[in-house]
Amino acid sequence: MDPQRWLTDPVECGRAAGFGIYVHIPFCAHRCGYCDFATWDDRGHLVDRYVAALGREIDAAEDPGRAVTSIFVGGGTPTMLEPDVLAGLVQRLHDRFDVGMDAEVTVECNPETARPGLFEALVDAGVDRISMGMQSSAPGVLATLERQHSPEALPVAVALARAAGIRRLNVDLIFGTPGETADDWAGSLAAALALGPDHLSAYALTVHDNTRMGRDVAAGQLPAPDEDVQRSRWEVARETLAALGWEHYEVSNWARTPGERSRHNLIYWQHGDYLAFGVGAHGHLDGHRWWNHRSIERYCDDVEESARGVANEERLADDERAVERLMLGLRLQQGLHPADAPPIDPLALEDALAADLVQTACGRLQCTERGWFLLDDAVTRLLPETA
Amino acid sequence: MSKPPIDRIRNFCIVAHVDHGKSTLADRMLQITELVDPRKMRDQYLDKMDIERERGITIKAQTVRMPYRPKEGPHAGSEYLINLIDTPGHVDFSYEVSRALNACEGAILLVDAAQGMEAQTIANLYLALDADLEIIPVLNKIDLPAARPEEVAREIVHLVGGDPADVLAISAKTGEGVREVIDRIVERVPAPSGDREAPPRALVFDSVFDPYRGVLVYFRVVDGTFRVGDKIRLMATGFESEIDELAVLMPEPVQVKELGPGEVGFIAASIKEVSQAKVGDTITVADKKRAATEQLPGYREPLPMVYSGLYPIDSDDFPVLRDALEKLQLNDSSFTFEPETSVALGFGFRCGFLGLLHLEIVQERLDREFDIPLVTTSPSVRYRVELETEKLSGDDPHEITISNPQDLPEPNKVSRILEPTVKAMILTPSEYVGAVMQLCEKRRGTLLAMDYLTEERVELRYRLPLAEIITDFFDVLKSSTRGYASLDYEPDDMQASNLVRVDVLLNGEPVDAFSAITHRDHAYEYGKAMVAKLKELIPRQLFDIPVQAAIGSRIIARETIKAKRKDVLAKCYGGDVSRKRKLLEKQKEGKKRMKNLGSVEVPQEAFISALRVGSPSGGGEKS
Repeated sequence: MDPQRWLTDPVECGRAAGFGIYVHIPFCAHRCGYCDFATWDDRGHLVDRYVAALGREIDAAEDPGRAVTSIFVGGGTPTMLEPDVLAGLVQRLHDRFDVGMDAEVTVECNPETARPGLFEALVDAGVDRISMGMQSSAPGVLATLERQHSPEALPVAVALARAAGIRRLNVDLIFGTPGETADDWAGSLAAALALGPDHLSAYALTVHDNTRMGRDVAAGQLPAPDEDVQRSRWEVARETLAALGWEHYEVSNWARTPGERSRHNLIYWQHGDYLAFGVGAHGHLDGHRWWNHRSIERYCDDVEESARGVANEERLADDERAVERLMLGLRLQQGLHPADAPPIDPLALEDALAADLVQTACGRLQCTERGWFLLDDAVTRLLPETA
Repeated sequence: MSKPPIDRIRNFCIVAHVDHGKSTLADRMLQITELVDPRKMRDQYLDKMDIERERGITIKAQTVRMPYRPKEGPHAGSEYLINLIDTPGHVDFSYEVSRALNACEGAILLVDAAQGMEAQTIANLYLALDADLEIIPVLNKIDLPAARPEEVAREIVHLVGGDPADVLAISAKTGEGVREVIDRIVERVPAPSGDREAPPRALVFDSVFDPYRGVLVYFRVVDGTFRVGDKIRLMATGFESEIDELAVLMPEPVQVKELGPGEVGFIAASIKEVSQAKVGDTITVADKKRAATEQLPGYREPLPMVYSGLYPIDSDDFPVLRDALEKLQLNDSSFTFEPETSVALGFGFRCGFLGLLHLEIVQERLDREFDIPLVTTSPSVRYRVELETEKLSGDDPHEITISNPQDLPEPNKVSRILEPTVKAMILTPSEYVGAVMQLCEKRRGTLLAMDYLTEERVELRYRLPLAEIITDFFDVLKSSTRGYASLDYEPDDMQASNLVRVDVLLNGEPVDAFSAITHRDHAYEYGKAMVAKLKELIPRQLFDIPVQAAIGSRIIARETIKAKRKDVLAKCYGGDVSRKRKLLEKQKEGKKRMKNLGSVEVPQEAFISALRVGSPSGGGEKS
């Protein structure tokens, strides 16, 4: 490999990661208090119009002529849609792009929406992976998060998915919610594992200012998440899953075996390319980033008018690419190969090494165990002064 | 303009508290004497500087000459020249006030009939009595529903003597009774005395920088005559120049050829800095044969009382700040500055001020006129430190004076520390006497006297360390008396006190900007408050950071900022990488603005907030 590939062929660096497609379904039965994504629980009347717009955007998109290695249908709650409508969208992507036989095709699912017929339709359309929004097994935590399902809904939903032939299962968890106890968290991990998943995502709850939860915290009605608690929850997850032989391959993600890693998310973390469809969706191609309108009405209007929903775009400058490469690449356990990484100031590197934030192992730059959960600090230290 | 005989001149000033209507009364006088065209009249006509008008206080004295013919009484029909000499209205400027009073023969004691006497009014009244002025008591705002004219008149008479019936009752707002005030000035205020033939002498009671004509020197002629073209000499500074312009204010400047005994006006004489013509100095002529040999009494160098470090937030602004301070000094000779360095704050200046208000005014002018964002260190006073003689070699001084806590030598080298004190006068409704006494005790005050002006109003006199006054004393006094108490003070002697320096250490390293000299009994309280505040203000870092307060090597308070254990933003949901990248870029940018102290990154805002709360006196009432 060219030791200076980052400098000489930046596009090739990212291409190695594969090529993905993200589709956003913004509808929810209830918008959770912590949610700051493009989601709505009061736009049911726009479903048909939105699905039509999505189809139009997909059909009109330029095909870069590369084999699609992953599709991810996220939300919102994609499984709110009628099974045949959702399956139809996936089918449409297959029709429009060169989706490989072995491509990973994931659909996000909320347990309460699992119903007979849903997964069968998805499997028929080529979906092989479900990402189940479990978040917690503690009823109190689910209530704080305003999730709509009861813990009992999980095994039922998973059984339906497996019975329909879904081969790969991810379970999403959130830790460090105000009020969550250590036992709650241990119980959530155990309950998640009892579902027999192939992959686990566990994110520390982040409270954004512009959300209902953010306002509750600011008003003193809800305690802010405790960062020390979140750290120890993360460590518990690490230890529990390591004892079962799981691979902790990304700061918040675990795979039962290396083959079960999320190929789609790996594209993000490896600075790869992906198309994006739907309201608020973000795409990236060879250093060009763009994103669609965040207003569903505006998105529909624009797509109906011009078959495009793009709100804005940017072409990454070298220093911006460097920031992204570091902040994404160091999320991975394996870290970055020097050939694929921006040059790092030796003094900055020494500083981060001395602070036990990063290490060099197997010729790669990676976070230490301590530095992994202090990633933002590590990255800002490694960034050049001008960035 | 006809030359008035000296016995037709009346020089007077108005002694009043802020908001008691001084400027409104002056406005009415301008109208009654028909000096200002009614169409050109504006409120607070004489307060020229913006800052004065906004704050409602007069900083620089102005003066106005009003020709006046009484319509009634023994002087009816004759033309008089009434000179109103405006005085600054705040304790910080008591020396300037005393010089302006010395240029007068009489003073109107103007008191708000609803508010009653205030400490500041009493203090200035005493200065006026010291200057032997004829006092004309006047009750203002008698049209207000809350006016208590009889009671307030009794308060006034308690202080100046006489009969309550003699106190004039007016409304400067409506003009009611104002003509009577002017008539009484003509009647009661003595005409100036002065010898037209004696060597010329004039008292400088103000000097103001004018960008076009240089410094304008406001003065009152005592003896002799000054003419345009005269070569003059300022006796204290020795500065010599030639009179380019001689004028009186009516209230716009009117040029005159000469000014004789008893007259008030200003000169322009190509003077570049106000420090060359200081308030209280005596002007005479340069010609040795005609010059006066003796200065007018009472001149003294203005002495800063309160010191503070001013540091530009952006270190690149240091030269800009220096230029700004130099420019400010052109028209404010009472403020001093010298360069100073702080490990924590970089390059700045230690500045001396007459008082806290003076400090605020300078800060505000720097902000308003020069737009330089600043960090201001906690105000400090000037200490006299007597050193342990055994530790000194022959040439070392036995005593040093410091205004920056950092300059205090190690405790074992110090034998005594003396601090400035003030004589404070506090006027309060009698129901709050307990609260006021409690506050003064806490601030190490000694009760000197207590006087009931009426049954409801008490005058308390305390000796207090100046350091205890210059932080939040006034605020606390106000809040513990529902805003009713008023305060005035004058410098008194130095006193030996049990003082120590409290240092604040971050990760074991002292942060100079947070050092403070405080009484030993208050050291713990200050140290504890400071470390608690810093713990709250400094973001968690990669390692535990001890925050300590210490006297010498003894730690008196300690907190620990625990190492951060989480610093990772959530996922890039749905591939939104741009947002997270921008957040990180912002974080990186933020780090640049941090100061690195003892390998701890401290945000600039932490300094500003901590210095704002850092009151080294016996505070704590606000918490």
